[in-house]
Amino acid sequence: MVKVGESRLKHLLPTREVAFALAALGLVLILGVAYNARGAFFAAGTHADAFWAIAGFGILACGMTIVILTGGIDLSVGSVAALCGVLFALMTMKNDWPPVLAVAAAVGAGAACGLVNGILVAALRLQPFIATLAMMAFARGLAKSDMVSEGAKIQRMPAPQVVEWFNTRVDILGAKVSIGVFIFLGCFALTLFLLQALRFGRHIYAIGDNAEAARLSGVPVRKTLIIAYTLCGLFAGIAGVLFTAMARQGDPDSGIGYELTAIAMVVVGGTSLMGGRGGVTLTLLGALTIGYLKKILDINRVDTAEQLMITGGIIVLAVLLQSLRRRS
Amino acid sequence: MKLERIHRRSRGAHAAMAFLIVLLASCGGGSENTESTSRTPGDTALDQTAAFTIGYSQCNRGEPWREQMDSDIESNANAAAGIDIIMKDAQNDALAQQAHVKEFIAQKVDCIIISPKDTSLTQVVADAFAAGIPVIVLDRKVEGDKFTTFIGADNRVIGAAVGKWVIEQLNGEGTVVELRGLSSSTPAVERSEPFRAAIEGTGIAIVYDADMEWLGDKAREKMQAALARLPEPGSIDLVYGANDPAAIAAYYAAKDAGRDEEMLFVGVDALPHEGIEAVRAGILDATFEYPNGAKEAIETALMIKRGEQPPGTITLGTRLYTPENVDSGGKTIE
Repeated sequence: MVKVGESRLKHLLPTREVAFALAALGLVLILGVAYNARGAFFAAGTHADAFWAIAGFGILACGMTIVILTGGIDLSVGSVAALCGVLFALMTMKNDWPPVLAVAAAVGAGAACGLVNGILVAALRLQPFIATLAMMAFARGLAKSDMVSEGAKIQRMPAPQVVEWFNTRVDILGAKVSIGVFIFLGCFALTLFLLQALRFGRHIYAIGDNAEAARLSGVPVRKTLIIAYTLCGLFAGIAGVLFTAMARQGDPDSGIGYELTAIAMVVVGGTSLMGGRGGVTLTLLGALTIGYLKKILDINRVDTAEQLMITGGIIVLAVLLQSLRRRS
Repeated sequence: MKLERIHRRSRGAHAAMAFLIVLLASCGGGSENTESTSRTPGDTALDQTAAFTIGYSQCNRGEPWREQMDSDIESNANAAAGIDIIMKDAQNDALAQQAHVKEFIAQKVDCIIISPKDTSLTQVVADAFAAGIPVIVLDRKVEGDKFTTFIGADNRVIGAAVGKWVIEQLNGEGTVVELRGLSSSTPAVERSEPFRAAIEGTGIAIVYDADMEWLGDKAREKMQAALARLPEPGSIDLVYGANDPAAIAAYYAAKDAGRDEEMLFVGVDALPHEGIEAVRAGILDATFEYPNGAKEAIETALMIKRGEQPPGTITLGTRLYTPENVDSGGKTIE
C-alpha cells in the first residue's frame, strides 16, 4: 500500500511477495525440467508457444489486476473479449474495414463495456460481482445476436492481412516469438506505469485498502473506479482482437471461463482479492506460472480432465501458501 | 456511519439481484437461444389441416457443420409446403437437450428431428417415440431402436476412405498425427477405427494422437504439443483431423511454427464455407464430405406427414475434395 511521501521506486524493487511468486514459478519450471517430455521442454519453440498461449489471458489479467486492487472484480472480461473479437472479425473478414479502424473500433467497444461496468459500480453503487455478471450475460448475448454474428463463427480463408500480421513471429535467439507476446508485454508495461508512476495508481491502492478513508482524504473514488473498470474493458477488447487473430476466426462462443483464468493468474501471483495489496508484476509471474503449468501438462499428453483438476489444486495451494505467509 | 453505508449499498444490490434473477430465469441455464417458426406463404388460406409441426433439436449450433445443418433444415422446410419448424439449440449441453425434447413432447409436435449430443438422449427419444411422436435421428446415434429413422453418412466408410487416401499419398510409409473427435461421440470412433485398421501393417505409424473434442481451439493446442514433441523437420508427414476445423487449426499451428510445408493436412466435413474454402485456399490437401442429411430429414418428415412408413436407416454417401477437383464437385466415393 502506498503511503503519502513514500518513494515510488520502492515498489519496483522485489518484495517478499514478488519473491514468493518467483518461487512458485520456479517450482513449476523445475516440474518442467523433471517432466520434459523427451526434451520438448527445452526447445525454444515450446517456450515461444507457452508465451503465445499466455499472451491473451495475460492481457485480461492486467486489466483484472487494476480492478481487483480496488477490492472489486470483473466477471465480464471473457464475454467482452468474445464480443470485441467477433466485432473485429465482422469488420475485417465479412467486411473490408481499414485495419487500424477495425482494431480501434473493437478495442473501443471493450472500453465502452468497461465504462458501463464502472458507472454501474461507482455511480449506481452496484456490487462489482453483480454489475459485471450482468455485463457478462449482456455482452455474450450481443455477441451472439443477429445484428452481430447470428450465433455463427465468422471466418475467411485465407485470413485477411491484418489478422496474419497479429500472427507474425519474430526470430529471437532461435525462438519464433509471436507479436501477441509483445502486445502482452506492452500491456504489462502500461499497467505497471499506471499503477506505479501515476497518482492514479496510488488512488487505486488507497481505495482497495479502505474506500471510505480514501474518499475522506480526497481521493476521487468514483472517477478512479470508473477509469479502472474502463481500462479493464479496454484490455478485454485488446485480448479479444488477439484471440480472434490467433484463431483466424470470430467465435461468439469463445471466451467462456476466460475471466476465471485471468482471476487465477492474479490470485496465484499474490494480489489479494480484498484489494489494496499486490500489483501487476505479481500478475505477470502468476500468468507465467499458470501458463507454463498448462504447457508442461500439454507436452506430457495429460488429458484435459486431469489438467483441470491439477490446475484447481495448484490454485488452492498457491493461495494457502500466500495466506500462511501473511499470517507469519 | 458504517451501518448506514452498508444499508445504502445493499439497496442497489437488491435491485441488481432482482434484475439478475429475472435475467437468469429467462436464460434458463443454457437452453434455447434460437427459436423460430417458419411458414410457407399462402399457407393460411389452406388451413383446414393444421400445419405439420416439427420439433428440431440441435445439440450445438456453435459448430459450423451443425450451423450448416440448421440452415439446410430451414431452407428445405421453407421449400416444402405446410411445415412449421420449432428450432432449439442446446449449446452442447446434453441435459438442456433432454429438456428440449421433453418440451416438444409436452407441445405434442407432429414429428421430432434430433441431432443428439450423445447417447444420453436415448431415454428421452424413446419417451417421445412411446408417446406416438415419430422421431428422426440425425448424424449421431442413440442406443436401441426406439425411434423412426436414423439418417447419417457412414463414418466408417469415410474413415476407411481416408486411410486408403493416406496410404496412396504417403506411398505406404510415413508418420501421422491423428486429431480425434470427442471420444464419447460415435462419429469420432467411426472415423478413427477404420482409418487405423486401413494403415495397419503398412509403414505408416501414428506418432501422436489426441482428443480435440471437435473444437478448433483444442486441436490447435494439441497440434502445438505434437510439434513440441516432434521438433525434427520431417518428423510429421501428415495430419488427419477428424473434422475440418481441427485440420485447419493444425495447419495454422504448423504455419506459426514455420512447418506447414512439411506435412499434408486432411479433414472431414467439406462444408462450402469451411473445408472446401480451405482446400481452395491451399490450407487443406483434402477433405471428405460428411453430408448433414438435412434434405433427407425433411423428405422423411414429409413421408411421415403423408402417412407413409419411412425406412429405418438412411445411409448417405461421401465425396473427396482435393485441389484438383474442388471446383468440379469432388469425387464420389462408394
